[in-house]
Amino acid sequence: MKRLWYFIREAYTSLRTHQTSTLIGILTTAFTLTSFGIFLLLYHNVHNLLGQVQHTIQIIVYPKNDIESDKLRDLQQGLKADPAVDSLTFISKQDALTEFKEQFPEEVYLLEGLGESPFPASLILTMAAKTPTTDMIGNLVKRLQHHPDIDRVRYNRDWIERLTLIIAYMEFGALVVGSILALASVTIIAITVQLAFHTRQQEIEILRLIGATSLFISIPYLIEGAILGAAGGGMALGFLRGGFELFTHKTQGLSVFGGFSSALEFFPLPLSLILIAGGILLGCLGTLTTIYGSLRFRL
Amino acid sequence: MIQLFHVTKYYDGCLALSDISLRIEKGECVLLTGPSGAGKTTLLKLIFGAEHPDEGQILVQNRNIARLGGSDVPYHRRTMGYVLQDFKLLPQRTVSENVALPLIIRGLSSFESRRKVLEALRAVGMDHKLSTLASVLSAGEQQRVCIARAIVNSPIILLADEPTGNLDPQLTTEIAALFKAINTRGTTVMMATHNRQVVEQLNGRILRLDCGHLVSDQGAYT
Repeated sequence: MKRLWYFIREAYTSLRTHQTSTLIGILTTAFTLTSFGIFLLLYHNVHNLLGQVQHTIQIIVYPKNDIESDKLRDLQQGLKADPAVDSLTFISKQDALTEFKEQFPEEVYLLEGLGESPFPASLILTMAAKTPTTDMIGNLVKRLQHHPDIDRVRYNRDWIERLTLIIAYMEFGALVVGSILALASVTIIAITVQLAFHTRQQEIEILRLIGATSLFISIPYLIEGAILGAAGGGMALGFLRGGFELFTHKTQGLSVFGGFSSALEFFPLPLSLILIAGGILLGCLGTLTTIYGSLRFRL
Repeated sequence: MIQLFHVTKYYDGCLALSDISLRIEKGECVLLTGPSGAGKTTLLKLIFGAEHPDEGQILVQNRNIARLGGSDVPYHRRTMGYVLQDFKLLPQRTVSENVALPLIIRGLSSFESRRKVLEALRAVGMDHKLSTLASVLSAGEQQRVCIARAIVNSPIILLADEPTGNLDPQLTTEIAALFKAINTRGTTVMMATHNRQVVEQLNGRILRLDCGHLVSDQGAYT
């Protein structure tokens, strides 16, 4: 308990003593995480929107013309059970004819004399919001194409592939931008802690003199780095929230966004906490970078 | 207690200690004398684990310091106290906070810690300045606090490197008396000093070093 109190007090003293560098460290972390957060927020919302768009993707399955009703029922049940499928609608030959007549009343004369409906029955599959990927849909389509009771399958492959590619690019972009910004933040925090380290060389020397382990010496600096990171993360979250509110308020009702802004959402709580945890992680990494170089090989 | 076998140490190719062999028993008072650069501080640092010998072995309480891993050094240091000429106190901490540091490192309870700090400060006559900042103490008082910090863990060995180097003759007498009292209580004292007054007052075994060589050992155990 006394040790814990000592560590916290040391970290607090250091932060108070080096107010300027502490402020610079917090602001830099906040700036870094805000930049990363903007990207993450964009990714989060685009991902959400793409999920919604993907929900409207349909695969149209045409069962064989002479399929027995039992087999058609089995086929429908099998498709409903597929995790990639959200909903299934059966359009009978008669429904298709009715639909055609409704949509093209002036062309009805073309069907005169044909007897029963010339249109095939079909099953319209809607994809589950979060599951579709090119692979998943591709696999499903492949399976359906080889199904003995299915005549043919139609779906917009290009559209699905393009959506998946956009998500993949955004994920890659988030990784690259995030890594660069994280590296910058780690460097700045490392410099801040290094400054504290140098100004407290005498204290470190005394601690070594009386038998302190490297871990004991490091803990207050790790706490300091974690506080810097957490404060930076919290500040970034505040900036992002403020910016987000301002953006949605200013763009609400603007036709150029076509109602898009009202569909935007801020980070959910777990993602907000992850951002702060990310700040803490960056702070600790920055400190460890300094400590590793300064303490490891010294007696 | 402490044994050195043919210990040699170089700094950047320059000889600091050459083929030193000696044995120090428990409760001895050993005074390292000799001119500046003779190797006194190096010898203390080797025993303290702050330096590794280039040749030879050092046993402290049957533990080979020469083979001590980096992570074992702090634990080795906790068994001994070290007093330096330039005090090494934290100026913005109170006297009791400075003395309590080794106990915090060891993870002692607050109650036990307070008791030991008071005991150590009483032993050096500084118990009336518990809450005083180290920065406002006089040189003599600072050195007393350093000694209190060095003995607060009840070490079996107390090392001191010119502890009276910054003090006037009056304070030197007082500090030497403190070391004498600590040694009388059974702690092995090993002190590097130039000061003839301290040597006479402590009246211990005198090891004289010159250019890294042990040139005389008066009062050595045989």
